[in-house]
Amino acid sequence: MLSGEFHTSYRADMAIYETARARRVLAAFLVVLFVLPFFGSPYWLDVLNRAAIAVIAATGLNILTGFTGQISLGNAAFLAIGAYSTAYLAARGVPFALVIPAAGIVTALAGMVFGVPSLRLKGLYLAMATLAAHFIVEFLVTHWESVTGGVNGTSVPAPSVFGLPLANDRMLAFLILPACIAHLWFAKNLFRTRVGKAFVAIRDQDISAEVMGVEVFRFKLLAFGVSSFYVGVAGSLLAYQARIISPENFPLLVAIDQLGMIIIGGLGSILGSILGAVFWTFLNEGLRLMVSALSGQFPGLVQQFAPLRLGVFGLIVILFLVFEPDGLAAIWRRIRNWFRLYPFSY
Amino acid sequence: MHSIRTALFVLCAAAAAGAQEIKVGGIFDLTGITSDVGKPFAQGVRDGVQWTNENGGINGKKIRLVDVDYGYKIPEAVAAYKRMVGDDKVIMINGWGTGDTEGLKAQVNQDKIPYLSASFSGHLTDPSKTPYNFFVAPSYSDQLRAWLQWVKDDWKDKSRNPKVAFFYGDNAYGKAPIEAGRRYCKDIGVDLVDEEIVPGAFQDATSQLLNMKQKGADYAYINVTTTGVSTILRDAKKLGLATKFGSNPYGFSEALPQVAKEAAEGVTGVMPHVPFGENVPGMKRLMDFHQKNHPQDTHDALYVRGWSYVLVWTEALKRADKAKALTGEGVKAALETFKDFDLGGLTEPVTYTSSDHRPSTKTPIYQIKSGKLTKVREVEMPRKPEWLGL
Repeated sequence: MLSGEFHTSYRADMAIYETARARRVLAAFLVVLFVLPFFGSPYWLDVLNRAAIAVIAATGLNILTGFTGQISLGNAAFLAIGAYSTAYLAARGVPFALVIPAAGIVTALAGMVFGVPSLRLKGLYLAMATLAAHFIVEFLVTHWESVTGGVNGTSVPAPSVFGLPLANDRMLAFLILPACIAHLWFAKNLFRTRVGKAFVAIRDQDISAEVMGVEVFRFKLLAFGVSSFYVGVAGSLLAYQARIISPENFPLLVAIDQLGMIIIGGLGSILGSILGAVFWTFLNEGLRLMVSALSGQFPGLVQQFAPLRLGVFGLIVILFLVFEPDGLAAIWRRIRNWFRLYPFSY
Repeated sequence: MHSIRTALFVLCAAAAAGAQEIKVGGIFDLTGITSDVGKPFAQGVRDGVQWTNENGGINGKKIRLVDVDYGYKIPEAVAAYKRMVGDDKVIMINGWGTGDTEGLKAQVNQDKIPYLSASFSGHLTDPSKTPYNFFVAPSYSDQLRAWLQWVKDDWKDKSRNPKVAFFYGDNAYGKAPIEAGRRYCKDIGVDLVDEEIVPGAFQDATSQLLNMKQKGADYAYINVTTTGVSTILRDAKKLGLATKFGSNPYGFSEALPQVAKEAAEGVTGVMPHVPFGENVPGMKRLMDFHQKNHPQDTHDALYVRGWSYVLVWTEALKRADKAKALTGEGVKAALETFKDFDLGGLTEPVTYTSSDHRPSTKTPIYQIKSGKLTKVREVEMPRKPEWLGL
């Protein structure tokens, strides 16, 4: 019984895991997570991998939008840059251990270029500028055929470890899950440093941040860089998982989806990016399974069920926003506090 | 969550009930940008499967169609594919779009899953590259060649070549036949004066049409789906253009004159599958099924197309079953025994060989005359080896 928590030092106050129990729960969760790939069916492993990739991308977007307050609609474009750099390098025999960080760096550079307008633009205007970035990249990947393969797309060789190809989702899970955890760990710690605090200061009030000595433009660009690095890595893993990528993999809807994930999960929260991305991915799949099952039962109504899935999805999102605008992370916090403070919750 | 579990339970129970079932995957677009034509096609496939099951199945075995709506999104098609092949263990798949089919072709080959796409992309016809891809129509490229041939013959002014424009989307489906079309224009002496790109979903094509007008195109081939074709036709009528329009088989069916109204008058289109209710022997079972199950519904050539697919692959399943080879490889081998397989006029007779997956090269061309689809011509293309895979 914890009945609350009481810090006696600043060190304890800064700790990521506020209690030893939290650390044990996390350790147990990680063990389960790494055992899962041994038992999951190919389909569920595919969903798991896609969820983990979405977590990385959503965390990247959250760093930019949730923590630094720069709205971005360019995430699909940054995913595409990461994925196409991966395809380009991997096809030339570069091992994946170099390809993935390289894809991240290329995307980070692109992200910083497209982040330059953030010097002058804020809010919706910046959203428009990043939207422009989306269309520029979309045009490039469609027409720069020698590199991207144009509309027919390009294939990506499977990543291999000592000559052993990671050809299926089971093996890829052991690449994607650690990558996901490493990025989360970095992001979580980023916001305990001066740089992370500068990001948050810019979000809260950019003028006062400047007055306090934060070089706003530099840190805005850095936020674009870090965020795009995450998204680039996600794009790279996506390319390795999908094995063939074409411009149709990166429609604008992907960027909207990812904004949805961090809004549902919780803006400005690492946990929120995880919960949002996982919830979004699994809700989509769950509804699809339900529709498939129902159409087996009522074959005549199947034409009505298919669009219904999208409607239900939208409805759930709206209900979430109305009843819990702070997202899943807030719900999680309430549940956790209930256990932590039990039985003396007041 | 509870309802998902119930749903899963129902699925498992259904799977356990029929051990003598043959599972076939279906990847359809019911909600995406091609759902205008995806829905009737999917219904045709479903009805075809139901009809087959009610009429003896596959030598007594029932077919179970494991289908999914992928909303014309490639990642969703890949996910659906993994689920069908990995979990449901389907023997083959009846798929849909060009982008997703071309995206899956390496995977399909690796898993040895025969994949009958509703995409007629010429890139899928060369078995040395795509041994497990099939479709049931002349390729998009042969269809465009056929239409260009019609243009050449329709053009009466011998002092100059006819001028042609192409309208297409900047995606795998839109671009599939374009390169073949460009080359064929040169071959037969048609001047390709303009190529206009249209977005995936659009409400207005005026600027593209004005561009085309400036280039002076006499004819234009529209390579998008019905909704897009009718938008272009409507805007062309508004601008009073004299250009004669033609359409690919996903833009041209009974639905076109209904949507585009009088703007569709005189438009030509390639129709590899006959309109619903056409007086051909193969139509009888469709009409009987329609009378019995949903006499109030209206259907079109896309619905007939769905049926034709089922008739082809159920025949392949029967042949594979007789040969005691009900596996992906067995079905592929069975498909490659097809020699002028007759579908009672629903589409041209189907032939596949292990070196050529072009089911036929004969393209019927229809024209809308006072709101009715009327066949004006049939153009057969030679099976040139250099056109394989283009």
